[in-house]
Amino acid sequence: MANDLALSVKDLKTFFYTNKRCNKALNGVSFEIRKGKTLGVVGESGCGKSVTASSIMQLLPRLSRIEEGSITYHSERGDIRIDELERDGAEMRSIRGEEIAMIFQDPMTALNPVYSVGFQIGEALQYHTDLTKKQRGERVIELLTAMGIPSPGERAKQFPHNYSGGMRQRAMIAMAMSCNPKILIADEPTTALDVTIQAQIFNLMNKLKSENDTAIMLITHDMGVIAELADDVAVMYMGNIVEAGTVDDVLRRPQHPYTRALLDSIPILGRGRDQDIKSIRGATPDPYERPKGCQFAPRCDFATDACEVMPTEEAVTDTHRVMCHRYKEIFENA
Amino acid sequence: MLTFILRRILITIPMLLIISFLVYLGLELTPGDAVSHMISPDLTNTVTEEQMAAMRESLGLDKSFIERYWSWLTHIVQGDFGHSLSGGVAISTIVLDRLPATLELSIFALVFSTIIGCVLGLLSALKRGSATDSALTVVGMLGVSIPEFFFGLVAILIFALNLGWLPVGGRLLPSYDSYWDHFPNIILPGLVLSLMMTAGVMRYARSAMLDSLSREFIRTARAKGLPQWRIILYHAFRVALTPVVVLIGFRLPTLIGGSVIIEAVFQWPGIGLEFIGAVRGSDYPLVMSIALLSVLAVLLASLIVDVLTAMIDPRVRLG
Repeated sequence: MANDLALSVKDLKTFFYTNKRCNKALNGVSFEIRKGKTLGVVGESGCGKSVTASSIMQLLPRLSRIEEGSITYHSERGDIRIDELERDGAEMRSIRGEEIAMIFQDPMTALNPVYSVGFQIGEALQYHTDLTKKQRGERVIELLTAMGIPSPGERAKQFPHNYSGGMRQRAMIAMAMSCNPKILIADEPTTALDVTIQAQIFNLMNKLKSENDTAIMLITHDMGVIAELADDVAVMYMGNIVEAGTVDDVLRRPQHPYTRALLDSIPILGRGRDQDIKSIRGATPDPYERPKGCQFAPRCDFATDACEVMPTEEAVTDTHRVMCHRYKEIFENA
Repeated sequence: MLTFILRRILITIPMLLIISFLVYLGLELTPGDAVSHMISPDLTNTVTEEQMAAMRESLGLDKSFIERYWSWLTHIVQGDFGHSLSGGVAISTIVLDRLPATLELSIFALVFSTIIGCVLGLLSALKRGSATDSALTVVGMLGVSIPEFFFGLVAILIFALNLGWLPVGGRLLPSYDSYWDHFPNIILPGLVLSLMMTAGVMRYARSAMLDSLSREFIRTARAKGLPQWRIILYHAFRVALTPVVVLIGFRLPTLIGGSVIIEAVFQWPGIGLEFIGAVRGSDYPLVMSIALLSVLAVLLASLIVDVLTAMIDPRVRLG
């Protein structure tokens, strides 16, 4: 079992500090990413999806810290505790970009405007491989070709502002894939792009996954994307994973009231205009004044006094776990 | 790129024409003319109106304003700036005589302030919020806000008069054998002038650096696993360079026009000092020529800034 894993995160707590207040952005998060599989992480804005990604990459802002828990990268050289590495130390830098790579939400701002795309892709190769300058140039063109960028030789010399949005994201993926990473973290890679471009990017990611056996952590707030691409799903709410399991587990047999509410709030194409879309009542709480117990309780239709206490994670099946006091009763009534 | 530069030069020409016209118009509006300056005040009573008119005619002053402007302009284009009213020396000779001193001082200050300003600004941005940053911020604000002449006078008082380390002012003295003998003379005016410039460059470099460090491509660079120095110098500083280059570029005119105040305070025999003398002595042809030269320098500097910006930032459209 452990051999299939690319990365395990155990009880991770990452806190942000501002003006002597503390935002418990991640409050005990555990999950695994399997080799060659896609883990989809869904949740509303501010639920801690991106913080999880930044914690893994050790790219957290200065005033934040991993307080507890562990991030273990199962490399070929043995397990590496990422959370124990120095943030910008040599070891962490050699993992970043080479073994764990990341693509970002907005390709418009994620590329440096004053350097050519080829140069920026080549930079990763320069620091992680022994290739000569000429070989790097060839590899860059190879990568751009693989990403389906036309006339890659000329494109490599161009600057990000000469690229369209979709092409920039493909260039970002080329950069991330340049050193054949074991894990690719994609933080909402298509949110800033046209829907038509989305499909292209996802096809590309799927191809990379099957060809290079790359494990992917796909962060999104789009359930449709999850259904399409993910093998495993983790649903996050206010710094906790409230439900996790395989795609079938979570999308077909949702246990947590939040997951259900989330699924109910998506309009379905083809059902016409009169479909019953349920919005989730209330708003996400202020991260500095969180509810005492279950974070979702104030917005939950099934909340009782018992929910004043933080629920623990319970296994529904071997692959499916949920964080709710009442999931059994609710599930029976449904 | 070449067509871009050519086009920029072509735009510069009509601007120069308009400004030269305004400068000439300014002279026209001042009271008195060349003749009234040529006649010594003691003789005003003895010279008759007819004699004055004859002089005007011989100098071509009786022609229309446009005709005179045209003749002035055509001479200038041929490099003939006319003669100074006091002494009758050719203006081009005066300017060429004064230019080395001004260039020497300005290049010293420009190079010094650019290097030190960028380094300190970078340091300040990287150590944001630290004691170093606060200290540099205070020094920078003082540097920007204290007037040059005050700073210059205080420097003379302390280093020249009280401590006696450096000469009070002046440049080449008769007793100097070699060019390098006058080096102590340049230290005080050079440093005072550069400290003013350094403060500005530092403040600009700091804020541009903070801005570019907070951009998303820095996170991308970190995610690639690049070492810190490369992220700072290659990714952040390169982007921060554009506003700093613009600032430094607009300091370029001091190379020719000189710093009037500093040159006056330190009696540095450059173009700035000459300019003050010309204004005091109502030597209008000289004032006009220096003003026109400064304008030319400003236009050239803005051309250089445009070209440099286009070279540094590929997003600038060459059109």
